Amino acid sequence: MSLMRISALALRIVRQFLRDPRTLALVFLAPILVMTLLNLVLNNQSSAATLAVVLPIGSDPATTQFNQTLRQVLGMQSDSLTVKYINASDASSTLDKGDANGVLIFPADFATQLQQRGATSEQVHLRLDGSNPGAAKALSNVVSALLQSLARQSAPTGTAGASTAADSSLNVQSDYIPANSKDYTQTDALAPLFVGLFAFFFIFLLTSVSFLRERARGTIERLLISPLRRGELILGYVLGFTLFAVAQSLLILLFVIFVLRVHYAGNLGLIFLITLALTIGSVNLGIFLSTYARNELQVIQFIPLVLLPQGLLGGLFWPVNSLPIVLKQLAYVLPLTWANFGLKDVMLKGKGLEAIWPDLLVLVGFATLMVILSTFTVRSESA
Amino acid sequence: MSSPFPTPDAGNVESVRVTLNPDLGAELLVSVRGVTKTFGKLRALDNFTMNIHAGETYGLIGPNGSGKTTLIRIIVGLTKPTTGEVSILGQKVPNRQIAKDIGYMTQSNALYQELSIRENLEFFGRIYGLHGQHLRERVEAVLETVDLAERSRSIVETLSGGMKQRVMLASTLIHEPRLLLLDEPTVGIDPELRLAFWDHFARLNAEGVTIIVSTHHLDEAARCHRLGLMRFGTLLAQGQPSELTQLSGKETMEEAFLYFATRHKDQA
Repeated sequence: MSLMRISALALRIVRQFLRDPRTLALVFLAPILVMTLLNLVLNNQSSAATLAVVLPIGSDPATTQFNQTLRQVLGMQSDSLTVKYINASDASSTLDKGDANGVLIFPADFATQLQQRGATSEQVHLRLDGSNPGAAKALSNVVSALLQSLARQSAPTGTAGASTAADSSLNVQSDYIPANSKDYTQTDALAPLFVGLFAFFFIFLLTSVSFLRERARGTIERLLISPLRRGELILGYVLGFTLFAVAQSLLILLFVIFVLRVHYAGNLGLIFLITLALTIGSVNLGIFLSTYARNELQVIQFIPLVLLPQGLLGGLFWPVNSLPIVLKQLAYVLPLTWANFGLKDVMLKGKGLEAIWPDLLVLVGFATLMVILSTFTVRSESA
Repeated sequence: MSSPFPTPDAGNVESVRVTLNPDLGAELLVSVRGVTKTFGKLRALDNFTMNIHAGETYGLIGPNGSGKTTLIRIIVGLTKPTTGEVSILGQKVPNRQIAKDIGYMTQSNALYQELSIRENLEFFGRIYGLHGQHLRERVEAVLETVDLAERSRSIVETLSGGMKQRVMLASTLIHEPRLLLLDEPTVGIDPELRLAFWDHFARLNAEGVTIIVSTHHLDEAARCHRLGLMRFGTLLAQGQPSELTQLSGKETMEEAFLYFATRHKDQA
């Protein structure tokens, strides 16, 4: 064992990397970037759940009193709950658009009936969005607790029988939109997002390394001087890699559906369409970025840049709507965010083409932009 | 002063009298006019002018760094000259229309290592527009030429250096180009194979193919119709091998080169 030889090797390694600013950035800046992002997201999330409430209607004292009490009680809830007050006519669209995780609907004359008779003919209605199981459960609990406390406060004084009647009128009828999302677990909610994430990440990596090797070996030069057009080169790569990506997506979906037994509501064809659009973008991003890499290590250095923002901000762990404003805007620029919107809508809410076409449009736009960029930047090792 | 050339090796190519194919006349295939190429401060080519006739083998001789590779890359269209222009068959380069008539070979093994010889050849053939029966015939033909017909299913990665070079040549010839640009095609291959390559080049000339080849081997220089002696990005002298030796009053090509190099330095 020679200390001299060992330290000669260590010194050489240190020198090599001091001359490699990109690797240094990877090692030192990437963790800082991740920690900053995480910190921003975790501490500034606006809320865990949003509840929309349709209050009883009327200007009589009973209703006014009830509404005031209700607002008070809701106002005292923890910061993790956001409450909105909406009209009955907006109930469906609020839930549909994802502006709230649940809608609590009181019949219009609820307060008056309660006071007069101690019971109501209609029940309180809670409609929950099952695509976010965590929020749905939270709201369910909040509403039960809320109604219990309201029952105690609003019960007409007097007979014992009356208070029992009051209790039962404050039971809530809940249903989930879409219908089978009642049983959704966290796995169900995450499955669509993993389809998108894997498609994007692995295909990007595969394409950029492959294209880089084409340049490193010199085969790209042979292609550049041949009758092959640059556009044809790019499209050939897109076709080749998309085949793999589609096969991968198929495998993931089959596994998720048949082995993990995840619930899903929507059309498989649409899921493929979204994945396809995402993949084409990611293939071309790979080709484009590989222009700026001289070797495989440098391609790997792109991974934090490409994957981390999309993984953290794309809706995988926290809903995009709950991100702080700056990060939310950044999220809207990332392709995976839009793929996630589309995949969630299809897989968890069973929506169709009419709902996801904006997402597809963005993905196609991103793919087109990447194709154009790649075509113009494709070059040999030494132009 | 040490010689810029490596010592001639044992497998000397016999001196063969070379004559131009009379049927082709002096059709101008490649025209290089006033080409200068600078890389930052480095002047790789300096106001270079050269004309190549159809059906000839033109040898570029010169030490490393003389600009041979840069010149070939400019002719092929991979690099753009800083000033000046190159035309092939009257068309300014780079030009997609004439791409199919050009074959380019480098020393680096620009092949797909994971694929077999046959798969590589089929790929390049298809890129050049060959398909079906014609493609199959050409693949067999070039495999014959480089004597690799029995190993056509071997994966390129498993081949020796010389074999890879042969595959490179095969893939360069598959689309029957009219112009071949060969950048030191015989580096690292054994004397017997070198002889075989140059025999094939002579056959190609007879068929009307034009070849521009750069080389360090002086016995190969003797088999060219004309030679261009290069140094520091300029053409020191140009002519038939016999003319150059006569002109310089020297016996060997090596001495002729030194003569011209010194004369150039004195004139500068």
